[in-house]
Amino acid sequence: MKSSGLALVAIGLGGTPKFLKRALGATVPHQRKILVTIFQRGGMDGMMAVAPYTDKHLQAWRPCLALPAPNTSAEALLELDGYFGLHPAFQPLLPLFEQKCLAIVHGVGSPEPTRSHFDQQDYMETGTPGKKGTPDGWLNRLSKKLGKEASPFRAVAMTSVLPRSLYGEAPALAIPNLADFGLKAPGTMPIAIAAGQGFEALYEQTSQQMLREVGQESFEAIKLLQKLDVRNYRPQQGAEYPRSPLGNSLKQIAQLIKADVGVEIAFAESNGWDTHVQQGTTRGLFAQRARDLALAIAAFWKDVEPYQDRIVLMTMTEFGRTLAENGSGGTDHGRASCLFVLGTAVDGGKVHGKVPPLAVENLEDGRDLPVTTDFRAVFAEVAGKHFGIEDDGALFPGWAGKRFPLLKSK
Amino acid sequence: MRKTLYFRLTAVLLLMLTLTSFKSKPNQTDERQPTLKLPYREAGLSEREAAAHLLDRFAFGARPGEVERVVKMGLERWIEMQLHASLPSPKLTEKLAPLKTLTMSSAEMLATYPNPGVLLAQAYRDGIISQSDTAKENRAELRRKIMDYYQKEGVRPQRELISELRAQKILRAVYSENQLEEVLTDFWFNHFNVSITNNKAKGYVLLYERDAIRPNALGKFRDLLGATAKHPAMLLYLDNAQSSAPEGAPTTLTQSLQRYQRNPLIAQRLEAAIAAQKMEIQALQNELPDIIKQLRPKRGINENYARELMELHTLGVDGGYTQKDVVEVARALTGWSVYPRGRRAEKLRERLERGKLLGVIQEGDFLFRPDAHDAGEKHILGTVFPAGGGKEEGERVLDMLAAHPATAKFIATKLARRFVCDTPPPSLIERLATTFLQTGGDIKAMMRVMVQSPEFWSKEARRAKIKSPFELVVSALRALDADVTNTRELLRWIEKQGQPLYACQAPTGYADRAEFWVNTGALIARMNFGLHLALGHIKGVKFDLLALNQYHEPESIEEALKTYAALLMPERDLSETLRLLTPLVQNPNFVEKISTSLPAASAKPADMPERVEGLPFESDFIREFLHEEPVAGQETAPILTSKEITLASVVGIILGSPEFQRK
Repeated sequence: MKSSGLALVAIGLGGTPKFLKRALGATVPHQRKILVTIFQRGGMDGMMAVAPYTDKHLQAWRPCLALPAPNTSAEALLELDGYFGLHPAFQPLLPLFEQKCLAIVHGVGSPEPTRSHFDQQDYMETGTPGKKGTPDGWLNRLSKKLGKEASPFRAVAMTSVLPRSLYGEAPALAIPNLADFGLKAPGTMPIAIAAGQGFEALYEQTSQQMLREVGQESFEAIKLLQKLDVRNYRPQQGAEYPRSPLGNSLKQIAQLIKADVGVEIAFAESNGWDTHVQQGTTRGLFAQRARDLALAIAAFWKDVEPYQDRIVLMTMTEFGRTLAENGSGGTDHGRASCLFVLGTAVDGGKVHGKVPPLAVENLEDGRDLPVTTDFRAVFAEVAGKHFGIEDDGALFPGWAGKRFPLLKSK
Repeated sequence: MRKTLYFRLTAVLLLMLTLTSFKSKPNQTDERQPTLKLPYREAGLSEREAAAHLLDRFAFGARPGEVERVVKMGLERWIEMQLHASLPSPKLTEKLAPLKTLTMSSAEMLATYPNPGVLLAQAYRDGIISQSDTAKENRAELRRKIMDYYQKEGVRPQRELISELRAQKILRAVYSENQLEEVLTDFWFNHFNVSITNNKAKGYVLLYERDAIRPNALGKFRDLLGATAKHPAMLLYLDNAQSSAPEGAPTTLTQSLQRYQRNPLIAQRLEAAIAAQKMEIQALQNELPDIIKQLRPKRGINENYARELMELHTLGVDGGYTQKDVVEVARALTGWSVYPRGRRAEKLRERLERGKLLGVIQEGDFLFRPDAHDAGEKHILGTVFPAGGGKEEGERVLDMLAAHPATAKFIATKLARRFVCDTPPPSLIERLATTFLQTGGDIKAMMRVMVQSPEFWSKEARRAKIKSPFELVVSALRALDADVTNTRELLRWIEKQGQPLYACQAPTGYADRAEFWVNTGALIARMNFGLHLALGHIKGVKFDLLALNQYHEPESIEEALKTYAALLMPERDLSETLRLLTPLVQNPNFVEKISTSLPAASAKPADMPERVEGLPFESDFIREFLHEEPVAGQETAPILTSKEITLASVVGIILGSPEFQRK
């Protein structure tokens, strides 16, 4: 059995869809900015990802987990700046760091001290730490700030359920798999075509305005995707995505970007960072997750090369992990972690942020890397500068902090 | 000595009990209600049209022939019966019988379906599994060990519980004769939302709907509020269970101890008893795995519940409270916590039993902890709550919030939005709010006012609401008179349209507005659902299209369209739908002879975000144990004749049409 359903609308596409014309308006399509976000669920161990190897305390906290300093062994960290070293599984990202388009911000986290995944993910996604009742996510509020006229693909999550970040009034799509997007009839072809035409006629002319407008857009979107031939997509520039959920998500985001369907905000997930047990060093859970993330990001960046000037990619994770390793070869829920920001306008090739000497008195509650940068300061900088939005309060209600300088001003 | 103290405490407790029983109003017995006056004729509706409208709003859509039945019975009588909610539902009873969790006591449920993280931690502590088991190559072995452990401990995976929770929601909505009760259960659950995405609350969600929401859905608002406020699902979901007086602040416990300070002997004994208890609790806590201990929150208030209590449950965001009020309400509710269930908490329960002498209060799964309750004075919305209020103080806060005019307006608005239209007329809101205040938040009384309001029947209100994904799926099943034997795939379809059941992560619940449901992805999923359902490609659902039309086969495809559109959407103006679809079905392609259809599309298990806290295993690994098994008894899609395919396609288009999305 090949495909279980048949795409319905077999009619050719005449010109640019209305929603795109509207969305683009006077602006040239090639100037629309795109923000790609990757949520690393589970809490990435920032101290393992980007380790301050010159800090004399690190080895004591982590007798088994600390990696050797750069150039000292085959399993050593990769040199970043003489103070921090990158976990070797992130190697595919190193060239981007050296080309100065990849920046790392360390010591990032939430001002709320909870170490619960649920609460901290919730706070990061709503952008309102400490306030659970916020109805919308920060990416949805960002979408609203990008103007009224939008493509249905403006905000896309490559997930089966809409993430909290995209909850809200602005339309957002959750598509786990582009190939499944479209009208599917389980029946046979002629019936399928007929049904598709039926729906199109119905939704185009229904007197209910919202159903009519969204219906029209839906059919236009389906046709657009059909033209893309998503099943036979070939990444450009020899980019090779890892065969993983994240690799697949980023590949499809690249596809949408290159198809110019109006993507402005994309969301992907990378799972499995909750490394309580057998975190490993150069092999093991962490290394495996890190390699997947690095390979996927590197492939994506290669694949979208002609579009790089329009794109910023940012990773995020709900918290970092305990500085001390635990009794089962892992680390437990902690506070600050680090994140990656990739883009041609990024002040790259640097490890930004503040990581104090890892003496116990410098740690939060005597155990965790302290949060020295509010995640909102980074998110507001990245989203705000990239899209030219001044009003941080609209993205992060109730936040009066300063942006963390990270993108070059235009 | 001991005896005297005992008597004094018992006397106080008895007095308190008497007081509370006076305060809680007896259930309103059925007073004779004046006959309802339903102003639908004034709005230009025939009796049949009014019945259809009523079935769209007070029920999950009409079943075949139901409009006739309601008309025959009389709309007024039908409404009263719905308000009374005591009709027998034999079909539902039969459908729910296999779902064993629905009737479990909370003790039994929590013992049978413990949090998987806690259970794994326990297995780890018991030495059943070790860290070397988690290596990739040992996964199969580990799985076996854990399954054995599950069996030995007599526990079952939580997904079973969630699967039954979700199944019963669909089955009740489809089959219950007491439709309004189900509509309002859906409404109030969403209003007082909790979510299975929160791992701590997950195991309590079924109990929450069953014990806190449904019994009060047609009762008094204050009872609903109290039931949700004290339920572990809410206490855990919004963190009140861990909210306590800050370190060093006077608590109910320290206060009651002080009272006995005058008698040194009693004081001494009490102190010794408390010290012993503390040590034992400490010893119990020491048994917990390190990870859980580290995550143990510090003492101090947690404002989450207090804030949502005012913003989302009662006053509304513009209800005139301040951040100061939030803090003060949170203080008043410190010590409102969860009674420990589960097999290993026996010792703890014994201690609590003895602690009742010192002010520990247990009501079902609710636990009032005198050691955590902030005993100081509070100022809330201009009212002073004197020091030493104890548990009753929280009750008075709930009384105050439930009787507040802002709450009346907020609840009136939400009910009107649900039952009338997305932006309900102020006149109706006003009338409902007044009723709320006059009747002490009597939901039945508000519903009576609703149906006697011209706004409910107005032209603007008819077909004005877009069905939620859940409503769409249920109304389609009802319209087709479908036999639902398995809900697994139906759940996937509801999820694809944007409403994973019981999994709305935000405490706001799902927005009850069309723009929340109508977007490109969801709309396409709705059309696909219509086609898949009609063509028999949703496993666990069976129906007979010809039976709907008393086995009269439509003579032509145009006839089929006309007949089935009217059957599935009774008493609607279908001229637009028919005008648009008729030329289409007349197209010769549409009746092309095809004798077979492709096999069913199997809905893939969705990647539900599982968040597992406080356990020594990575969450991906846990997820393996939470994955649902495929639908048992692989039924293949029916092989239809070309005639049947044609009819089914027509029905599929009707179900996916804009008109069917409206109610």
